Amino acid sequence: MTNNIIQVQGVSKIFGGLTAVNNVNLDVAEGSIYSIIGPNGAGKTTLFNCISGFYVPDHGMVLFQGLVLNGRSTDTVASLGLSRTYQNIRLFSNLTAIENVLVGQQPRLSETWVDSILHTPRSRKEEKTSLMEGFKWLDFVGLSEFANSIAGDLPYGAQRKLEIARALGSKPSLLLLDEPTAGMNPQETLEMTALIRSLRDKFNITIILIEHDMHVVMGISDYISVLDFGNKIAEGKPEEIQNNERVIEAYLGPGGAALAQKYRRKKAA
Amino acid sequence: MKTLIRQSIRTGVTFGIVQIFFILIAFNSMIGIMLAKISGIKNPGEIPAPKFLIAYTLLMGLWVGIAALRKKSELSAGQKILAGFSASLTSAVLVGLLEVVMTIILVNKVFVRDFLTVLSFDFIKATLFGMTPATGILVTIGCILLGSLAAVGLNILFNLHAVQEHWKKDMAFLKSLGEKFQYIVRGKYHLLWQIVGISILAVAVILIPMKWGSYWNYVFGTVGLYVILGLGLNIVVGLSGQLVLGYIAFFAIGAYTMALLNAPEPHNLMWGFWPALLLGVILAALSGLLLGLPIMRLRGDYLAIVTLGFGEIIRILLKSDVLTNFTGGPRGIQNIQGPNLFGRPFNSEVDFVYLIIAGVILASFVYNRLQQSRTGRAWLAIREDETVARASGVDTIKYKLLALAIGAAFAGLAGGIYASRNQFTGPDEHALMASINVLSLIIVGGMGNIPGTILGAFTLKGLPEILREFANFRLLAFGALLVFMMIARPEGLIPSHRPKYNEPKEASTNLKDKEVPHDK
Repeated sequence: MTNNIIQVQGVSKIFGGLTAVNNVNLDVAEGSIYSIIGPNGAGKTTLFNCISGFYVPDHGMVLFQGLVLNGRSTDTVASLGLSRTYQNIRLFSNLTAIENVLVGQQPRLSETWVDSILHTPRSRKEEKTSLMEGFKWLDFVGLSEFANSIAGDLPYGAQRKLEIARALGSKPSLLLLDEPTAGMNPQETLEMTALIRSLRDKFNITIILIEHDMHVVMGISDYISVLDFGNKIAEGKPEEIQNNERVIEAYLGPGGAALAQKYRRKKAA
Repeated sequence: MKTLIRQSIRTGVTFGIVQIFFILIAFNSMIGIMLAKISGIKNPGEIPAPKFLIAYTLLMGLWVGIAALRKKSELSAGQKILAGFSASLTSAVLVGLLEVVMTIILVNKVFVRDFLTVLSFDFIKATLFGMTPATGILVTIGCILLGSLAAVGLNILFNLHAVQEHWKKDMAFLKSLGEKFQYIVRGKYHLLWQIVGISILAVAVILIPMKWGSYWNYVFGTVGLYVILGLGLNIVVGLSGQLVLGYIAFFAIGAYTMALLNAPEPHNLMWGFWPALLLGVILAALSGLLLGLPIMRLRGDYLAIVTLGFGEIIRILLKSDVLTNFTGGPRGIQNIQGPNLFGRPFNSEVDFVYLIIAGVILASFVYNRLQQSRTGRAWLAIREDETVARASGVDTIKYKLLALAIGAAFAGLAGGIYASRNQFTGPDEHALMASINVLSLIIVGGMGNIPGTILGAFTLKGLPEILREFANFRLLAFGALLVFMMIARPEGLIPSHRPKYNEPKEASTNLKDKEVPHDK
């Protein structure tokens, strides 16, 4: 039996009269790639925000490696080993790429401001190791040539990759990726898919993914949950989700399932 | 052709209005006085001689001409003359109309000084160059036309092919010279050159204050104190991105700590300079922490307003009657003692300049070290996006408090030295305007870097001291400079650059737990 790295138990988030996330349960196995899909406005990003500490859930609990995350500030959550990226890129756009990755390493460093002023051996050693590591992460996502470029000036796809490199700086055991391939061309999407897979394969980082590109989702996910209007309407392996009537209706509207059936039969014939 | 004339007339109208405005605020006589001083007249009086005003008008004409030909290098010489002529004629007519109105005022003896304080009859006469109104107006129009035609002539001359070629050659030569210099400084012997450079600088810093009179030492001491203040505020505003407006309150805390502990009145404690300075720095840092605790959740405008209130509270407290017995009240505190170093008392401006230079070096050193470290990067991340910085694991509250405390400590240091140097401090030295001065100097100089702060301090504190005669126009010039800066160089005179990092060579021991591949 695999360990669950994160357990979301009955989480709800209510904004005024709108229930954005309603009593959602997730169990994410360690070392898996877990996708959350659903139509626009289904509450996927809200659920992400509840997990990563941006929001405090109104009901329910988020357990990370057995620790309750509810009410912990985002910086403590990050130092526990949970990193994330953002749907609309939020880099430190006036800093260079390497500086972005260095900031990502903050929770693992112990250098204090006194060390910084006095250049103590500790600070020098830490500065050097974190710089080396930063360059290696940049190399890993394929951005080493851009190390000293200003992050905001990078091409769009590179900015997405840089966000991932920054998130990796804290050596997370769980990485939340919010639409990593949004706005990318097919070539970049392929590269990103390979990158996500190698994160799991090489570093055993568990990945939770919000994604709209079904080729990506069906290609790399081990397990998928589907949200619609804040409710989880289905979960399962990719092939199960593909044939789930409720999921199809959520995307295509009532009667969509029958339509899809017809389309498939036509295609088969 | 028609659009060209229309454009030129539009430029002319704009400049005409600007020139009318200049006359109404007596800017012309100010420039006239400055020209008179440059030409060696010791005491030009309040209204300069006509020839200087004529020179001013010619300069204005030159300006109109230059403006009319901006971004029009492709025009033919004839078109240029046409453009310059129509622009300058328009603005000359506008100025002429103003002078007609002024003549009417003069002839009918209308008293308008209730509304326009500068329009005295003497001033009007001077503006007409002391001639009869008709000639005066004609001379004005003639001067503007002449000036703009001169500008057009220069423009045509400089756009000639031969001149341009020559110009290019000169620039290339200068550039290669610069590259050679860079090569020498950055090349093989860069360490040697750095040592030579630093020692020349050090000798200059040691020798120059001795040669200056005490006035210049006073001026440059003030500039130095503002450099320290600017660096401190740069940590808070430039690095960690928190807009703190009441910054001078920390300066006041440093100054009053020095004053209360080291003056015969009102307490006669006489702790001596150094303990008082140290305590002032510590108290300023503590007050930074205390102010920071309740306002950590505030951002942007709200933070600015709250800290502005804090600055005013400190000033009003220092001024209040209730605390007169403790702080000296509105009169301030006199006879603050200077420092003693190795038994030698500091009694001249020169000594204080050395002390201030030491303070500037210390502040720059601390600032520089912090800026290029984990701490500095955490601050920058907070400035860029506080929410994301927090989610990336930066303890934003800790780092924001740290920035406030260190910034306040810098101000406390400057305040202590300031009080002891002037042997006096009073509540009105710590008014809002001083905070705004410090903020302006880092904005003008360039947010977030040391050379920018130093340049900003010289521009905003040094220049006004040098141009003390024009004290009335200081605020005007200040505002104009800020507006101009925001348009021309929004990132300051010396914009900040991000440092470049190179990958360190040796293998590290810290990567064992998660191997990072090289094969990408």
